[in-house]
Amino acid sequence: MANDTHLDLAANASSIKPPSPWVHRWAVALTTMTFPLIWVGGLVTTYDAGMAVPDWPNTFGYNLLLYPISTWLLGPFDLFVEHGHRLLGMVVGILAIGLVVASHLGESRRWAIVWSWFVLLAVIGQGVLGGMRVLMDERTMAMIHGCTGPIFFCMATATAVLTSQWWRDCPSSGKTRGVFSWLVLILGVAALCQLVIGAQLRHIQTWASPRSFVPLVHLHLTLAVVVTLLILWTGMATRSSSMKSVVGLRRPTGILMVLILVQLGLGVGTWISNYALPWPELTGWLARYTIAAKGWVESWIITGHQATGSLILAFSTVIIFRTFRQRRLEH
Amino acid sequence: MRINTKSNFRGDARNFKKPCVLQSESLVALTRTLAFVSLIVFAGCGSHVPEFKDNELFIHRIEKESGGTLGTAREDVRACLNSMFGTPDNPKWPEALDVSWRLDMEKVSRAAGAVGRAQDGVERGLWRKHCATCHGISGDGAGPAAALQAPYPRDFRRRSFKFKSTPIGSRPTQADLVRTIENGIQGTAMPGFQSLTRNKFFEKDIDALVEYVMYLSIRGEVERKLLTQAGLELDDSERVFNASLGASDPRYESQQKRIQAVVSDVLQPWSLAETKVTPVSVILPDDLQSSIERGKQLFNSETTACASCHGPEGNGDGKSQDFDEWTKDWTIRAGIDPLKREEWKPLKKLGALKPVKNPPRNFDLGAFRGGSNPSDIYLRIVNGIEGTPMPAVAKQPENRQGLTESQIWDVVNFVLSLNDNAASNEEAK
Repeated sequence: MANDTHLDLAANASSIKPPSPWVHRWAVALTTMTFPLIWVGGLVTTYDAGMAVPDWPNTFGYNLLLYPISTWLLGPFDLFVEHGHRLLGMVVGILAIGLVVASHLGESRRWAIVWSWFVLLAVIGQGVLGGMRVLMDERTMAMIHGCTGPIFFCMATATAVLTSQWWRDCPSSGKTRGVFSWLVLILGVAALCQLVIGAQLRHIQTWASPRSFVPLVHLHLTLAVVVTLLILWTGMATRSSSMKSVVGLRRPTGILMVLILVQLGLGVGTWISNYALPWPELTGWLARYTIAAKGWVESWIITGHQATGSLILAFSTVIIFRTFRQRRLEH
Repeated sequence: MRINTKSNFRGDARNFKKPCVLQSESLVALTRTLAFVSLIVFAGCGSHVPEFKDNELFIHRIEKESGGTLGTAREDVRACLNSMFGTPDNPKWPEALDVSWRLDMEKVSRAAGAVGRAQDGVERGLWRKHCATCHGISGDGAGPAAALQAPYPRDFRRRSFKFKSTPIGSRPTQADLVRTIENGIQGTAMPGFQSLTRNKFFEKDIDALVEYVMYLSIRGEVERKLLTQAGLELDDSERVFNASLGASDPRYESQQKRIQAVVSDVLQPWSLAETKVTPVSVILPDDLQSSIERGKQLFNSETTACASCHGPEGNGDGKSQDFDEWTKDWTIRAGIDPLKREEWKPLKKLGALKPVKNPPRNFDLGAFRGGSNPSDIYLRIVNGIEGTPMPAVAKQPENRQGLTESQIWDVVNFVLSLNDNAASNEEAK
């Protein structure tokens, strides 16, 4: 019975005007470019470069595109990072416009066209939030900007999933369990909460007290355990005999398992790069290690931790959308 | 060639491209409005103006000693400090007082304030960018991330600095502070800022930070002295500072004299720091192995008592372990036992961090927080480490029972021979 429904829906989907592959291509390009944007945004926070350029939307009085490239490339690194973040943001904005155009030209599903407009509005909103941070010189705005960035990354990822051939064909013949759907949803929410807490930690006001900071750290560590367990569980569940025939979940959960291992390593590295270990005399190396302030390795570890968090959220989004697509077809 | 940051960011560019005249004023105005609304919605408040925090733990100690509360005297001290030293955004120097020694306030101002680069291309807010998350906005060592670290970040308001070329009781030289900031401290959360020194755009940042550390330390010590005056020395009828007094009021002059005395008392040791530097004259042993043997005997002798804390083999496993002076300042000196949780825990709301003992260094690991050069080890032995249980060794000729220069170098050689860090050993040789 379920298979019949599946076939009916698939038949309906294929009876609709064949979509232009360009919508999906734009969505993939948008998602792909959003990741470096998030990475460079993380570098802005790591280098405390949010106010390296004092004006917005201009850069030192110049139009964003007319700021001299030699001054940008050869200037201080924080200016390089901040201006680079703005340029990348502009590229993502152009891709979002392209997505809207492509959707209008090649997308037959009305809701998908409306969704592309939401994506465009989100990227504009995210840019304006970044501008507010500069104009108000307000760290709280930077924190909000840092929380909404990964949400936009999720939206872009979701667009890539929604416009994919997999979504239209949904070739799976297996069944997902109800509890699986709920747990992947919880995984997505927990991964997002991790990023929000991480943004709070990274944008903590310098006049805050340890009494407000330490509970956030404890919450971050606790949620890390929760996210890790959920990822391991989803990974094993998609490889179990009951979900063996479910297509499209095994690869993203496998990637998530690799990512969480990388993320845990980066988390430990981030702790050491920020605070050193509380028991540094564990080994001679740790005892002799001196953190390099704004050091190359330290900065990339800390930024990588934040960017990998966004990547985990993005893959969780893929799993959530694919899971619920399957469940819908099953019912 | 020096690169002028101003011309680099703005002027040079004008040579080949005229700045865009489109200022997008309406976009900026709209964004500002949205920002204000968002802050109200998301953050629940507008911009926060940072202020220096009162030294709550010291106030608690004074109140306990005096048996009363400071009451309005707290506000008087705060007003006095603000009038002399300004705020975290606008630091000042007590120009009105007769002080011959002064900080470079241009550098202090550059280190103060919010993080960012203004249109002139000069970066400001260096303290908040690099230091305040750990050391706090007031230099109290209680920044938001402080509780996660071991040891805790330094509280500069006690004017004690560990790693310096001057004896206990003297202030560090600027070079000492530059070195600590530049090199960082091994095995701790204190990073090294050599990346700033190596970068032409940031090479002067450490100088500005050093001035700001001194500013915070001076301000913090003045605060402690004024609080002591207010709580323990002045009569109930006297006020430590009354801003409403006119110059013609007879009380004004005595108030000014008292404050002048406090500030001068705080500044004088800083002005003398360079004259207090301990000279280091390296004595190379004829036979290194014999020197190490002699050093081992001295290390385990009662004269030096090194082994009582560091252990006979220098593993840091001696019997004597104690708290540092920063912890004792608000615990033992205030009649609180740092080992009794029920006694110190109520003070957490005043900013206290859990008391942690100061472990003696394990020389096996080759990690010397004040520097690994033989001359650094020599200075630690001769001067001790201020604020910690590490005392200065008794030294001849000042103390006839003390060590000779040659014996001190024997101990240095022994200490350096213990570690497994080949580089340090080679350097020692």
